[in-house]
Amino acid sequence: MRKAFLLLLAVLLVGAVCGPAGQALGASSIVIAVDSPPRTMNPHGSDADSNLGVMANIFEGLLQRKGPQGELVPALALSYEHPDLLTWKFVLRQGVKFHNGNPFTAADVKYTFERLAVPEVSEFVNTGKSFTSIETPDDYTVIVKTKDPTPWFANNMHQIYIMDKESTEKRDPGEVGVKPIGTGPYKLVEWVKGSYLKFTANEDYWEGAPSIKEVELRPITESSTRFAALVSGQADIVSGIPVELYDKVVQDPKIDVVSRPARRAIFLALGNEPGSPTADIRVRQAIYMAINEDEIIEKVMRGHAAPAAQIPDPPTIGYNADLKRLPYDPAKAKELLKAAGFEKGFELTLVGPNDRYVQDAKIAEAVVKYLAKVGIQAKLDVKPKAIFFPEVNQGKTYFYLIGWFDGTFDMGRTYFKLIHTRDKDKGFGEWNGSNFTDPEIDKILESTASMVDRAEREKTLQNLNKITMVDKIAWIPLHYQVDLYAIQKDKGIKFQPRPDQWMVFKEISKQ
Amino acid sequence: MLTYITRRVIQGLIVLLAVSFICFIIFRYAGDPVLTLAGRYATHQEQEEVRRAFGLDKPFYVQYTRFIANAAHGNFGKSYVSRIPALNLILERVPATVELATSAILIAFLLGVGLGVLVSLKPRALRNRLIMAGSLGGISIPTFLMGILLIMVFAVYLKILPPFGRGETINLGWWRTGFLTLSGLGHLVLPAFTLGMYQLAVLLRLTRAGMREVLAEEYIKTAWAKGLPPRKVIFKHALRNVLIPVVTMTGLQFGELIAFSIVTETIFQWPGMGNLLLISIYESDQPVIVTYIMLAALIILSINIVVDILYGFLNPKIRYD
Repeated sequence: MRKAFLLLLAVLLVGAVCGPAGQALGASSIVIAVDSPPRTMNPHGSDADSNLGVMANIFEGLLQRKGPQGELVPALALSYEHPDLLTWKFVLRQGVKFHNGNPFTAADVKYTFERLAVPEVSEFVNTGKSFTSIETPDDYTVIVKTKDPTPWFANNMHQIYIMDKESTEKRDPGEVGVKPIGTGPYKLVEWVKGSYLKFTANEDYWEGAPSIKEVELRPITESSTRFAALVSGQADIVSGIPVELYDKVVQDPKIDVVSRPARRAIFLALGNEPGSPTADIRVRQAIYMAINEDEIIEKVMRGHAAPAAQIPDPPTIGYNADLKRLPYDPAKAKELLKAAGFEKGFELTLVGPNDRYVQDAKIAEAVVKYLAKVGIQAKLDVKPKAIFFPEVNQGKTYFYLIGWFDGTFDMGRTYFKLIHTRDKDKGFGEWNGSNFTDPEIDKILESTASMVDRAEREKTLQNLNKITMVDKIAWIPLHYQVDLYAIQKDKGIKFQPRPDQWMVFKEISKQ
Repeated sequence: MLTYITRRVIQGLIVLLAVSFICFIIFRYAGDPVLTLAGRYATHQEQEEVRRAFGLDKPFYVQYTRFIANAAHGNFGKSYVSRIPALNLILERVPATVELATSAILIAFLLGVGLGVLVSLKPRALRNRLIMAGSLGGISIPTFLMGILLIMVFAVYLKILPPFGRGETINLGWWRTGFLTLSGLGHLVLPAFTLGMYQLAVLLRLTRAGMREVLAEEYIKTAWAKGLPPRKVIFKHALRNVLIPVVTMTGLQFGELIAFSIVTETIFQWPGMGNLLLISIYESDQPVIVTYIMLAALIILSINIVVDILYGFLNPKIRYD
């Protein structure tokens, strides 16, 4: 009698549990597994792409980026003007509501811009401190003035998300970091940290309600577990497939692999201290030609990389399609070293991260081996990114491996940080870890600061690109990474990867 | 007895202070959080401003004393990454880890002791020899390998168990539990097994050794001679005496399982404390790391004290003064 009762209880329990669970994923819902969890629901709290990409579904900026080239198009702003070097005027979209029903007005934009400068809540301190004034002549117009001419200002607006002034001021920062209120196509329903995020479509979204109604985002940091989630059917789309598992994934008949050249270029930075061997252009050419990049792509990156001749990628202003890589020629490299007087080589240490980029430590290892083959006594020094990046920032790394891509699609901003002579007062060269300095490059760079005409900027930056890569060999470019995604085949999912690796749900559709 | 407890508690506090001091020193040199806090495009001036805003420009002893003073009031600082109080961040992950550790220790105890008794009765039988060989594997195979193997076999090939996560959980007030749903229990199987495998093997061998020794004792022979049923001889008389050291060990291991389930939680994407610790180390999130290690030290210290006192009650020969 007791046994029968227990059996009945068990059945009821199973029924109670399996019932609702079965309805959880209907026809218009999707599960996405990503490799990095979002850290906070405060849209200014992190400038990492893993966070910004999730925020892009809940919040919106004045502008947004769409399409395979990341084209800048209107979002919360209908249009913008640049009347003079320091002024930007935005005309805002009307009739937009935040998720809590509050109307979107210029006051929200002003509040957002002012909030950017507060270090306790924002990592966009640099952007926040660049304003000298923010005016709102009426509810749907914003006029900002910047301290210095900032040609890429509008280009940055797709990652500055507008917050609701009233609710953000009322709530404490802890709640703001957990319960987001934006204008975006999706609302956050539940966030169990480390487990999943559940989103539901915002039916009142100004562009029209998105087609997929329920989205579950699951961060899985361990790549083999992400792979297991993919092949066991637990996730519909998986981002960040590790290159070592690519072959296994491609063989699975139920899975489609989608790849896309990434925006990030991996390159070597090399100092040019007067008197050192690397100040001689021939030595720099020798180092460039000693590295067999094709072999690195084939063996280390397993074919998932494209050789790079420069740092910007094709859609970026400053990309110069005429630039070509120097050929792999170790014999010529040895000749050049001899001509420069370094037949016996010299000592050089390559510093790099071991947990930041795809196969970063292995690439550095390969480079060191190639250099050794032409007689340069190269040493390897790889370390975790938490230690590596501060060293670069402090200018302690003479020869290092690093990756970069510019979110504003304008090489000018990047050049100021990466190659301009270090100048603490002016804020130049923060990421010029090798202390590379060249007055000609500095002069051209500074002249672009006031250029706003896109054609003029493009021409000057392309020229600057050529000078840095060909005449001075400021950097030795290696390759562009490739982003790999996998999709379950028979679910009718249409997914176009974005250049910034963001997972924007409104751009995914499912039949 | 009371003086003993007071003495242990004071010793515990000293250990906590020492742990916090060492943590503070180590993580001061393990990366600069200001770089992440100020954003990629910050100038040096802006970085210095951020440094001042977070009090990171003050000398070491000032930062440390401020931290201890705040900690005494329960304020362990805010995470640099998510700007939420560090203690809350860790506490909301406690249920996940505690449930995982409890399941692991239950599996380890029940199976370990059960199999240990079984094996001790007929040590030379083939089946029992195989079990002993298996236990050797349990001790030698590293946790991450065990976890990945189990995922491949049960989730990818056989597709009968889920490869990651906690499944459906229910909120009992503040405690998020996976024990009350079938999905939650199913998700517990592989991680609990992985985490408990080492303890299982150790307990198995310990029980077997203890039982072998006890079963040869005179009073057991008397029990057999008296004609008592085997169940009574083995469990009531023999196992009871073996259990004292076994239970003590299990209690101590429980603290360790809670504090250091990092690898298992990473493999199975289990949203517990260990997972948080690993992420925080990668991102130089000092407040969370230091708080976590202090919490772990507190848990282990407390469990040790409790176990020592209980042991005194269990074994009348032990006297504390």
